[in-house]
Amino acid sequence: MIRDFEYFAPKTLKEALTLLDKYQDEAKVIAGGQSLLILMRQGLVAPKYLIDIKGISELNYIKSDAKEGLKIGALTTHRTVEKSPMMRNGFSVLAEIERNVASIQTRNWGTVGGELCHGDPAEDPAPALITLNATLKMASLKGERTMAVEDFTLDYFETALKPGELLTEIQVPVVPPHTGTAYTKFTVIENDLPTVGAAVSIILGSGDDICQDVRVALSASAPIPMRAKQAEAVLRGKKITDALLKEAGEVASTEAEPLSDIYASEEYRRELIKVLVKRMGKEALARAKKA
Amino acid sequence: MSKYSVIGTRVHRVDGPEKVTGNAKYTFDLVLPGMLYGKVLRSPHPHAKILKIDTRKAKRLIGVKAVITGKDTLGRKQGIWRRFPELCDEEILCREKVRYIGDPVAAVAAIDEDTAEEALDLIEVEYEPLPAVFDPLEAIKEEAPQVHDGVELNINVTRHIEWGDVDEAFKKCDHIREDQYKLCSQAHVCMETHDAVVSYDYGGKMTVWTSTQSSYYIQRLMADMTGLREGDIRVIKPTTGGGFGSKFELDSAQFCAAILSMKLCKPVKIVLNREEEFTATKRRTPMYYFLKLGAKKDGTLLAKEVRVITEGGAYTAMGATALYLTGFFSSFPYKYPNYRFDGYRAYTNTATTSAMRGFGAPQSTFVGESQLDMMAEDLGIDPIEIRRKNGMTPNYEVPGQAYIQSCGLHQCLDKIDAHIKERGKLPPNHGIGVSAYGFMSGGIFNWFDTPYAFSAAIVRINIDGKVDLFTGACEIGQGSDTTLSMICAEELGVKLEDIRIHAADTGICPVDLGAWGSRTTLMNGNAVKMAAADAKRQLLEFAAAKMGPNIVYDFDIKDQWIHLADRPERGISYFDIVKEAIRGKDGETIIGRGHYTPHRKGMISPAYSFGVQAAEVAVDPETGRYKLVNVTTAHESGTVINPVGIEGQLEGAIMMAGGYGYCEDQPMDEGKILNPSIADYKLIRSLDMPETEILEIDTYEPEGPFGAKEAGEGLTNPTAGAIGNAVYKAVGVRINDLPITPEKVLRALKEKQKKSK
Ligand SMILES: Cc1cc2nc3c(=O)[nH]c(=O)nc-3n(C[C@H](O)[C@H](O)[C@H](O)COP(=O)(O)OP(=O)(O)OC[C@H]3O[C@@H](n4cnc5c(N)ncnc54)[C@H](O)[C@@H]3O)c2cc1C
Repeated sequence: MIRDFEYFAPKTLKEALTLLDKYQDEAKVIAGGQSLLILMRQGLVAPKYLIDIKGISELNYIKSDAKEGLKIGALTTHRTVEKSPMMRNGFSVLAEIERNVASIQTRNWGTVGGELCHGDPAEDPAPALITLNATLKMASLKGERTMAVEDFTLDYFETALKPGELLTEIQVPVVPPHTGTAYTKFTVIENDLPTVGAAVSIILGSGDDICQDVRVALSASAPIPMRAKQAEAVLRGKKITDALLKEAGEVASTEAEPLSDIYASEEYRRELIKVLVKRMGKEALARAKKA
Repeated sequence: MSKYSVIGTRVHRVDGPEKVTGNAKYTFDLVLPGMLYGKVLRSPHPHAKILKIDTRKAKRLIGVKAVITGKDTLGRKQGIWRRFPELCDEEILCREKVRYIGDPVAAVAAIDEDTAEEALDLIEVEYEPLPAVFDPLEAIKEEAPQVHDGVELNINVTRHIEWGDVDEAFKKCDHIREDQYKLCSQAHVCMETHDAVVSYDYGGKMTVWTSTQSSYYIQRLMADMTGLREGDIRVIKPTTGGGFGSKFELDSAQFCAAILSMKLCKPVKIVLNREEEFTATKRRTPMYYFLKLGAKKDGTLLAKEVRVITEGGAYTAMGATALYLTGFFSSFPYKYPNYRFDGYRAYTNTATTSAMRGFGAPQSTFVGESQLDMMAEDLGIDPIEIRRKNGMTPNYEVPGQAYIQSCGLHQCLDKIDAHIKERGKLPPNHGIGVSAYGFMSGGIFNWFDTPYAFSAAIVRINIDGKVDLFTGACEIGQGSDTTLSMICAEELGVKLEDIRIHAADTGICPVDLGAWGSRTTLMNGNAVKMAAADAKRQLLEFAAAKMGPNIVYDFDIKDQWIHLADRPERGISYFDIVKEAIRGKDGETIIGRGHYTPHRKGMISPAYSFGVQAAEVAVDPETGRYKLVNVTTAHESGTVINPVGIEGQLEGAIMMAGGYGYCEDQPMDEGKILNPSIADYKLIRSLDMPETEILEIDTYEPEGPFGAKEAGEGLTNPTAGAIGNAVYKAVGVRINDLPITPEKVLRALKEKQKKSK
C-alpha cells in the first residue's frame, strides 16, 4: 500500500528547488516513477511530500556541440536517447545500450536522470557514461556543482545528491579520435536488469595500435557502478592482444566485489566479468580502429 | 473438401473482440453497490502455534466493518479429495497452528483497500514459533518436526503402481542405468491473480463471482465450508485471466470474502496481490526422482523402476494426484513390460504444492526423456530410434492401468526425424534435443466425489434460429468457449455466429467439473455434441414430417440447410423449420440435453494424446547462456477442432515449459520464497521466444467429439526434457536439477574441462 502524501507538480526548476529546499528530507522527487513507485508500493519509501518533476520541460533536452560534447537533460527518457540522431560520433554506444533496457513502455517513462539517482549498481547506462568520462550537473537553491559519474554513486542506492539538490544534466565530453566504446550485459532473459554489465572504452594513438588510454567500468559487480582501474592498467600503453584482453578480464574479475544473490552467485559473476570485459575490450578495439 | 463446415476452420475466438479491446470484465473489474474490500492477514512464520489473536484495535479503525479469524468459521477442514476425509486438511483460516509463511489467520473488510490493509497492521497475533522442516528428504526423517499431528514421518500420501516382474526383468537386461534428479518449483503466474466478490443476502443466498477453473467445485466446497446448501450458492465465473491449475480449489480470497459477506450481508471483494499470489497460493510440485532403467543391447526397454519423493508443502490440495500422475506418466509414452513406481508425498512447512499444467508429467517427462537419451547413447543407438523401438502404438493396454485407443506417436517420431534431418549440419555449440510425451484427455478419477455426470450441456434453439449453449465448462483463456461453440455449431449444422455460449454460472448451467486435466474438449465436447444432437433430432422430426421423403432417407443439417443426407439439394431452410417446430411444440423452445461420464475406460483417462518435440539451443560456452532457437512440435490430438487454438496453446506451453526448463524457480530461505514479484521471478517473455513450428499429424480418437482429444497440458510436458537433451548435444553437459540455468551449465562445463585435463 502506498501511504498518503502531498503531491506537487512544479513546472520550473526554480519551483522544484524551492519545494525541495522547504521540505528537505521529507520530500522525494519523482521523475518517471519506474524505480521509485516500486519502492513506494513495497512501503520501503514513504515520503510525506512527492515532487513530480516530469513536467519541468527545461530539464528535457539533448544538445550536441562540437566543442562541449553532449548535454542530456536529466528528464530525458531512455527512449528519447535511444532514438536521438545525436547519438553518433562516439556516442552511439549510448543509444545501443538503451535498446536493451527494459521494455519500450518502461523506456518511455524512465528517465536517464532517474536511473542514475536511483543508485542501483545493477543498471545499464552508468558504466558506459563512466568510460566516456561523463559528468553530472546538480542544482540546489544554493547553486550548481558538477561531479564525475564515477564518483556519484556512494553505496547501494545511495548517491552524492544532498537534500535540496536535483540532478539537472548529464554531460558527455567530445570523444577523442580513434576511440571505440562498447557495452554489453549478461541477463538470463532478454532486456532484463544486468546480472553483470561491462563497458570498455579504448583510445588508440593516431597511426598506431597502441592503447593511449582506456577505461573499464562494470555494473552489478560492486556496491556502485564500478571503474575497474587495475584492468585498465593491464591495457594502457600497450598494443592490445587477445592475451592481454583475457588478462584484463581476469584482473577486472578479481578487483570487482560482486555479491551472491538469487540471480547469480559471486563466483558466477566473477566468471561473467572475465568474459564480458574481454569481449567488450575486443569490440572497443575494433571500433577504435575504425573510428 | 473437408466433411466439416466449422471444425478445423481458422476462426477468431468468440471472446476475442471483448478481450483485445480491453472491454472484457474480469472479477477484478467488478464493483457492486455498497461493496466492501477485504484483505487477508497471513502468517510470517513457517510453523507456529497461534496463542492469541487480538482484533480489537483493528475493529476500532474508522472504515473497518468486520474482522474475522478462524473462530468465525465452522472450523472445518477442506480439501478437494473429498472422498478421503483425512486428506481434507486445510482450514483456510487457521485456528491453532500455521504451517507455512502465508497461511491465513485473519481477514478484514473495510470501505476501501487501503483501510483494510491498514487494519491488518493493527491485528495482534501472538505466535509460538515451532521448529520447521522444508525439504521433503528431511521431513521424512524420524526426528523431523511434525507438520500435521499424527502423520507419521510427515508422509501425507504414498502411491504404488506396478506390473510385470521388475526384479526378474532387471536380471535379463544388458545395460542398466540409475540416475537421480531434482525438480524445482514453478509458479502459475496467471495474469489475473486470485480474486472473488461474494455477496450474501438477508434471504440466506450467496452469489460468488470469482476467477476459477471450476465454478462447480467452488460451489460445492463453499457449501462444505459455510454450512450453506449447495443450491443456496451461485458461483459465476466472469472472464478469467488464466488458471494453469491454480484455480480449482477453494482459496483464501473466496473463502474469506464469503465469511466476511455472511457477517455483514454486504458484498465483499478480495483480490490477492502479486506477492500473495506467489507466496500464498499453490505451485508446481518439486520432486526428488530416483530412476532405474534396464534395456537389452538392441535398445528394447525391459524394466523401469521409479522412486519419487515430492515436496508437499503444508497441505494436501491436489498433491496426491500430482504424485499419482507423475508415477503413471513415468511410463509414458513407452511399452514397459515391467514397471514399478513408488511415490511419497511429504508435508513440509512451505507453500502447498498442487496442480499445475501437466500435473506431474512435465517432471516425469524431463527425467524420463533425459535418462532415455543417455541410455540410447550408452547403447550407441539413435535417440529417435530407441523411441521408435519402444513407443506406444494404437490399441495398447498399459497393464492394469489404461487402455490407449488412438496413438500417433510413431507418425510424430517420423515427422520430427525428418525435421531434424532438414535442419542439417548445425553451427558450433548448437544442439537439437528431442523429447516424446503423452498426456490424458481428462481424468476419470472421482476423488471429488461428485454424483453428477462429469460434463453436461444444454442447447436451446430460439425462434430466430439463434442457439444458446449452456455449459458448466470454464473458459480460462484456453479457448474452450470457442471450441465448444464450434462443436455445437458443427453438430447442429449452423454457423459459429449463431451460437451464444453461457458458461460456468452454476445458477443457469449444468454441472461440469471444470477446466483441469485437459478434459474440456473431450468431456464437455461430448456433452455439447450430444445436446446439439438432441436438439437437432427434434428439428429433424419436423423436417421429416414436412418434407415427407421416402423413409429410407436420413436427414442432416449443414450450413443452416436441413436436407436429405444423400441428396443435399433436397432440403429446407433451418430457420423455417425452427419456427415450425416451436409452433408445433405448443410454443416451447427446443431444448437439447447432453452429458458425458467416461465408463469402462480404465482408471485414468478416456483417451491420450501423444507428441514429440525437438528443441534447438545455441549455447555460449564461455557464459553458459543459451538461447532457444527453434522448437518444433509434432502433436497428435486427434481431430483438430480449432487450429488457431492449438497454435496458441502450443506457444503458451513453450513459454511456460521453456521457463520451467530454463529459468523459473522459487528459491527459499527457511520457507520464505525469495522472489515473490514478476521482476524477480524470471519468466520467458516475447523477446526470448524461439521460432515455433507445429507439424500436423492425422489421427482420430473414437472416444472424442468428432475424433478430438486434448491439446492443452500435454504440450507443457516435453520442453524441459528437450532442452536438457539439446544442451547435452550442444556442449556435452547434463544438468539433473531444474531449471537448467546458464550458471549451472557453465559450472558443469568447467567441471568437464577439469576432468578432461
Ligand atoms: C520492469 C523494469 C525493467 C527495467 N529494466 C532495466 C534495464 O534493463 N536496464 C536498466 O538499466 N534499467 C532498467 N530498469 C530501470 C529503469 O530504467 C529505471 O527505473 C528508470 O530509468 C528510472 O527513471 P525514472 O525517471 O522512472 O526514475 P524515478 O523512479 O522517478 O526515480 C528514481 C530515483 O531517482 C530520484 N530522481 C529521479 N530524478 C531525479 C533528479 N532529476 N534529481 C534527483 N533525483 C532524482 C527519485 O527521487 C528516485 O529516488 C527497469 C525498470 C523496470 C521497472
